[in-house]
Amino acid sequence: MTGKLLQVFGVLFVLALVGGSIAGFGILKDRVKVVVSPDAAATGPDPIAELKDNVNVLSGELGTLQQALGTNFEQLAAGIDERAGARHAELMGLQRDLAAVQKQLAALGQENVALRQQLAQLGKQLEALPAGGGMQVASAPGGAAALPAEPQPQPQATPAAVETPPPTAPAELAEAPKKPDASKPKGNFLFGGAKFRCDEPHDYEIVPELSRVAFDAKSTLHDFTGVTQNVSGTFRIDFDDPQGAWSGSVRCDATTLKTGVDGRDSNMWEYLDTKNHPAIEFTIEKFEPAKDGVDVVRQTAKGEVVGTMSIRGKQKPVRMPVQLEIDPQKRLIVKGEMPLSLPDYDVPVPSQLGVINMEKDVKVWISLRARVKAGGGK
Amino acid sequence: MSRGLQTMTLLVASSLVAGCFGGTHIKPEERDIDVPVLDLAFQPAGAMVLDGLYESVDIQGDMALSWRKVYYLFSPNGNYTAAALGEGDSGPAFTTLTGNWKCDARGLSLDDSEPLPLEQAPGHLRVSAAGGSLVLAQRKLQ
Repeated sequence: MTGKLLQVFGVLFVLALVGGSIAGFGILKDRVKVVVSPDAAATGPDPIAELKDNVNVLSGELGTLQQALGTNFEQLAAGIDERAGARHAELMGLQRDLAAVQKQLAALGQENVALRQQLAQLGKQLEALPAGGGMQVASAPGGAAALPAEPQPQPQATPAAVETPPPTAPAELAEAPKKPDASKPKGNFLFGGAKFRCDEPHDYEIVPELSRVAFDAKSTLHDFTGVTQNVSGTFRIDFDDPQGAWSGSVRCDATTLKTGVDGRDSNMWEYLDTKNHPAIEFTIEKFEPAKDGVDVVRQTAKGEVVGTMSIRGKQKPVRMPVQLEIDPQKRLIVKGEMPLSLPDYDVPVPSQLGVINMEKDVKVWISLRARVKAGGGK
Repeated sequence: MSRGLQTMTLLVASSLVAGCFGGTHIKPEERDIDVPVLDLAFQPAGAMVLDGLYESVDIQGDMALSWRKVYYLFSPNGNYTAAALGEGDSGPAFTTLTGNWKCDARGLSLDDSEPLPLEQAPGHLRVSAAGGSLVLAQRKLQ
């Protein structure tokens, strides 16, 4: 019963839905309008028109750029041409200078050859001279001196007026060692000059006013020093000579040794026999540097000078430890001392009535300053 | 020994002792001859007018190899004349120069050369160059 009732209600519900739908369609069919509108994102300016505008702008800019580039290229080309012209002119000038230098070199070479020939002729003429007759100077044909008469060109360091004539002898012909050339002012006396090196051989000359040679003696009563500034001598020294081949001598006037007591001085001169042997001389034969004793940078040296001491006419080999340095004025300072036994030189040892006795050993010391001698360079 | 001989010996010894006193060793640090050292407070000279005679009192450096003595006579009008005693082939010899000078904050320029540092102290000038330095003392030209 209930099932049949439900079936009836179902059929009625379906019919009601169909009827309602038909009725609703009838009512709304005139009120519903379907409109298809374009997408909202597609609204705005026409892209094609915009693209055209862009193309037009780019075209204009491209034209401007082409114009500017053209100007720049023209300027660049002009600049390159100008610089190339300047370089070419410089190159031509350099070529001319080079040609002139080559020409001068050739001329100098010819002069050199001529000088050598003249030198060879001079040598032959000197060889041909008889022994002892060498004081005659050979002359070139025509009576002119064999050496070239023209002075060699001298560099003029400054526009200052030089009143001392430069030397005219060619450097090749003179075997004199290099030295500070005082005859040519180098930049108002303040420039140039030789660069001093202590590790090159130099001839030094003692400056007596700044030098002393002395001895220290001891006696029964007191000690005393005999000293003199009357010192002279020259020596050739190279601080760093591996052979230590030094040479020269130091000489002092024994008659000027003073001890501060006149009577004692008279006795001393008598003992030294200064009437017959007025000089005390030390001859330098060799230098033996101490280990690491030479400092070229600091211009100092330590070592022993080997040589011969001559006192009262008697000579003995001696070794004197010395210290050397170069002072700011480029003078050589030599300091040294060594023991010396008076009997070795046959010098009587002073004694007064056996009461006052002097010791037979004395200490000899030197304090010397020496200048590089004229022409004493390497 | 008689008394008289002893007395004589003592007298002789005393006289000798008296004669010997008065001398001792020269100390090692006193062996060198004193070289006068210039103790001057130099200051940059700046622009100044050089006038008068100057004599070198110290030459240092390589230029000391060439010159033993240097004299400059500066005139306020910018001219100078100078002489230097150097080592010639046959001994010391003077070399002379004349030229012009300028002095400004950069230093002393001689003959239009590059200015050299110039310093001054009372009565003195010091010129420095590559070859050393030169201290000049002003002298009166009488």
